[in-house]
Amino acid sequence: MSAALSDAPDMAIRASNVTLTLGASDAQVSILRGVDLEVPYGVSVALLGPSGSGKSSLMAVLAGLERASGGTVQVDGLNFTELDEDALARARRGRIGIVLQAFHLLPTMTALENVAVPMELAGIADPFVRAAKELEAVGLGHRLTHYPSQLSGGEQQRVAIARAMAAAPKIIFADEPTGNLDGSTGSSIIDLLFERRAALGATLLIITHDPALAARCDRVIAMQDGLVVESVA
Amino acid sequence: MSLSLSTLWRIARRDLSARIRGLRLLAVCLFLGVATLAAIGSLTASITEELSRRGQTILGGDIEIGIAQREASDAELKAFAAEGTVSETVRLRAMAIGPEGSDSILAELKAIDGTYPLYGKLVLQGGAIAKAPKDGEIYIGQTLADRFNLATGGSVRFGEAAFKVAGVIAEEPDRLGEGFTLGPVALVSLDALEDTKLIQPGSMFESKYRIKLPASADPEAVAKSLEQQFPSAGWDITDRSNGAPGTRRFIERMGQFLTLVGLASLVIAGIGVGNGVGSYLESKRAGIATLKVTGADSGIIFRIYMLQIFAVACAAIAVGLAVGSVMPMAIGWVAGDILPVAPGFSLHPVPLIVSAIYGLLIAFAFALPPLARARTVPAAGLYRSVVEGSSRIDRRTAIWVSASIAAIVALAVATAREPVFSLGFIGAAFALLLLLAAIAWVMRAIALRLPRPKAPLPRLALANLHRPGSHTQALVIALGLGLTLFVTLAAIQTSINNEIQNSVPERAPSFFALDIPRERTAEFSAMVRKEAPEAEINLIPSLRGTIVEFGGQRVDQLDELPEGAWVLNGDRGLTYSPQVPKGSEVIAGEWWPADYKGPALVSLDIRVAESLAVGVGDSLTISVLGVEIPTKIASLREVKWENFGLNYALVFSPGTFDAAPHSMVATLTVPAKAERALAKSIPPAFPSSSLIQVGEVVSQVTVLLQQMAQAIAAAASIAIFAGIAVLVGAIAAARQSRIYDSVIMKLLGATRRQILGAQALEYAILAVVLGLVALALGLGAGWYVIVQIFDFTFAPDPATLAWTLIGGAGLTFILGMLGSLPILAARPSEALRSL
Repeated sequence: MSAALSDAPDMAIRASNVTLTLGASDAQVSILRGVDLEVPYGVSVALLGPSGSGKSSLMAVLAGLERASGGTVQVDGLNFTELDEDALARARRGRIGIVLQAFHLLPTMTALENVAVPMELAGIADPFVRAAKELEAVGLGHRLTHYPSQLSGGEQQRVAIARAMAAAPKIIFADEPTGNLDGSTGSSIIDLLFERRAALGATLLIITHDPALAARCDRVIAMQDGLVVESVA
Repeated sequence: MSLSLSTLWRIARRDLSARIRGLRLLAVCLFLGVATLAAIGSLTASITEELSRRGQTILGGDIEIGIAQREASDAELKAFAAEGTVSETVRLRAMAIGPEGSDSILAELKAIDGTYPLYGKLVLQGGAIAKAPKDGEIYIGQTLADRFNLATGGSVRFGEAAFKVAGVIAEEPDRLGEGFTLGPVALVSLDALEDTKLIQPGSMFESKYRIKLPASADPEAVAKSLEQQFPSAGWDITDRSNGAPGTRRFIERMGQFLTLVGLASLVIAGIGVGNGVGSYLESKRAGIATLKVTGADSGIIFRIYMLQIFAVACAAIAVGLAVGSVMPMAIGWVAGDILPVAPGFSLHPVPLIVSAIYGLLIAFAFALPPLARARTVPAAGLYRSVVEGSSRIDRRTAIWVSASIAAIVALAVATAREPVFSLGFIGAAFALLLLLAAIAWVMRAIALRLPRPKAPLPRLALANLHRPGSHTQALVIALGLGLTLFVTLAAIQTSINNEIQNSVPERAPSFFALDIPRERTAEFSAMVRKEAPEAEINLIPSLRGTIVEFGGQRVDQLDELPEGAWVLNGDRGLTYSPQVPKGSEVIAGEWWPADYKGPALVSLDIRVAESLAVGVGDSLTISVLGVEIPTKIASLREVKWENFGLNYALVFSPGTFDAAPHSMVATLTVPAKAERALAKSIPPAFPSSSLIQVGEVVSQVTVLLQQMAQAIAAAASIAIFAGIAVLVGAIAAARQSRIYDSVIMKLLGATRRQILGAQALEYAILAVVLGLVALALGLGAGWYVIVQIFDFTFAPDPATLAWTLIGGAGLTFILGMLGSLPILAARPSEALRSL
């Protein structure tokens, strides 16, 4: 089932007939086959679906990490389909926060520096002060000068959350943020993610296999074979 | 668990064929190093072999007996003729005077007999094969023909005889055997030489007797027997196995030096080998861990990957040898007349085998540490990131690595003509390696401790220099060594050029005049002063003689000449003087009184005395024109050879050579404007004298030095190529972590320009630091060679040095940036999927 597009101006995300085709001409694979989606500001959305259904690819397109092969993508009023790679990078600054399954911290930088980087790139004032506050907020005030290799998996993911939240983005993307963590650590991370999102009032789009986690979201979207097959509020 | 070699090889080959590209850096580095060494070795062997093959032609016979300032006695001639066919030539420097006395030039006048040449052919332009010219006729060299604008039928004068040009020489068969010449050659018959009246008592000339032996005769044995028959004759005897000893010695020394430069390149390549193998094994961690999980012990892992590395190393070495062995032909084609003989194509097994052994030893020494690390880390540890990897190697590996390095040093010393020099060079290179390693360590430590830049991208650039697994160490050593070598050579070359160009005109006289008849010295001085009243004239007697005894030791009874005793090789220039000669300082013993009339005394150059192990009070016997004169060493002098004056290692007391006919030599320092007039007026008035214009000799020497410098720079440029290969390899090896950083930065909002800026900053820091390090070390090394070895003024050309550095460091920067371009192209979503 595809969601009907509305003309409402307060949509954080609007995707219309988005397609994504990867691979060379003789071995092309259609990853997304015409996705329509609208996510209002301040809403949390869970993206469900089996492996290979196109969840991560859709998130990559919506976060500007991948350019759609067809259709239009509007994020916070910006038409992502018209932007090149560098413009997309600039568009993410202060607007989008991303949390990934494998943490993806910069190994040569301390926790504090990792969190400060997006704010520095966005030209936000006092990035280190804000980074320190954000790390305090995720319970890592005592780990500011530690490198990723000196942190546990759960701690690394907290740093990644702090990094995503620090610039107070309007939209947060999270791709299976607990996939690399054990159950109890995972649930505390999810609590933290929702808590910080609520504090910012940001839009959250989270990819998960966990129905309980999906149930905590305002809306659940199911994907299969590159299409949105169900959208439940 | 023990597996057969074939099983190990099967696993190794299967694994290798899947990821052979990972060992490209190993292959490229070994190829570069081995090809360079093989090319240098093959070229040296080709030339020396060609010199030996053409030994008879180059020498002009199977044996050559050179006699200074006299012709052979009847007894000597009889002894020569008893051995085979004899050809006589007489060679001297003489002024060729152009048509109507228009111009003069110093030439090598060679008189030949009817049997010349015994081997080879004297070819004239147009292809005619000639024998000795008729009386009144002359064959001249191309340079002489050009200088006087002469062709066949023209006329030229030597001494008191005028000659008609009967042909221009295209090929003088024994040209190479004649050694260094100061002017173009001209050939006349022996009878015609008498007409010139150039040969006077005391004149500087050399008679050569070449003997063509029967095929069954052993030239060495014949030479020995002749020497035994005439032990005091003062001959310079050579056989066909060493037709051009000076040329051969030069080629062998040059080859030896270039080999050491090539070896330095191979060491740099070795760093690339280490990096290449390290990166390759890094990419194999999962595979190695899987093999371990399935039951392979560390020994098996070691053997499998050693087999792979050995196979790729052998292939790279084989290609290097193939390219190196055909290089002499290519060099011969490019270098043309610069080489003494055109190197032919033939395989020279010894240099190829030596190059291959060097290649294998370098591969072994540098591949062993990463192999040992892969083998000693436990299976689970192999899964861990490189950040946690240990960089220590076990004791057994350390011993093997040390043994390989010792074998490389032993091979270099064993194959060296001058082992002490080779050992010194290797020692210096090793010290430089250690110093660069220390500099790299300091650089990383500083990068780690520097206040962290506020901006994230400079922070990333700085972090890349000290991050665990960074290639800063390898890059500083490899590129630092290459750049240092280049700066050193540039400093040496430009200092020598400056020495010649700046110092020579200041210190050197305008002319050297040889063979001035003793009785006409006043006339000579007057003539010079007529043209140049302010001329500085330094006239001294000159003879040639051979040392036949020193410190009670007969030279002909020595099995081998002492090290550095060049003064015992053939005849040497001698003089006598009542005063200490200009440019000399007595440092032991006492100079004789100006009116000394006692037994013959001699004053020796201190270095000559050291080489002969003699001192004040020891005896020394000199043979002049076949007469032995016993003398006693009265003093030792420090001679400033570089002052371009008339310097003699042996200066005798006045009266020593009263009985020997001899002439005078002079240095003339005149204003530049008077040079032309003197060059025109003196030769016709003093036909038997030679006037050498210093400027011309200096330009000949400059050309020779420049050619040597070019050959050395060509060999050293391989060091830079090897350094670049290391740089490219390091960039490739670090690509994965750089892609990671770049993708995360993009994810957080960094643009490609910002990421490129961070990389630019990193390589700029590296290039600037390496440039400064190379400048400091290269200038230090250059200063040592110029001041301590050559005793010259250290005056490198700043512009050449700056360009050398800018070129080298700029190349480092540009290649670093080019290597970063694929990193920028990584698409975030695609990269994240694989990270």
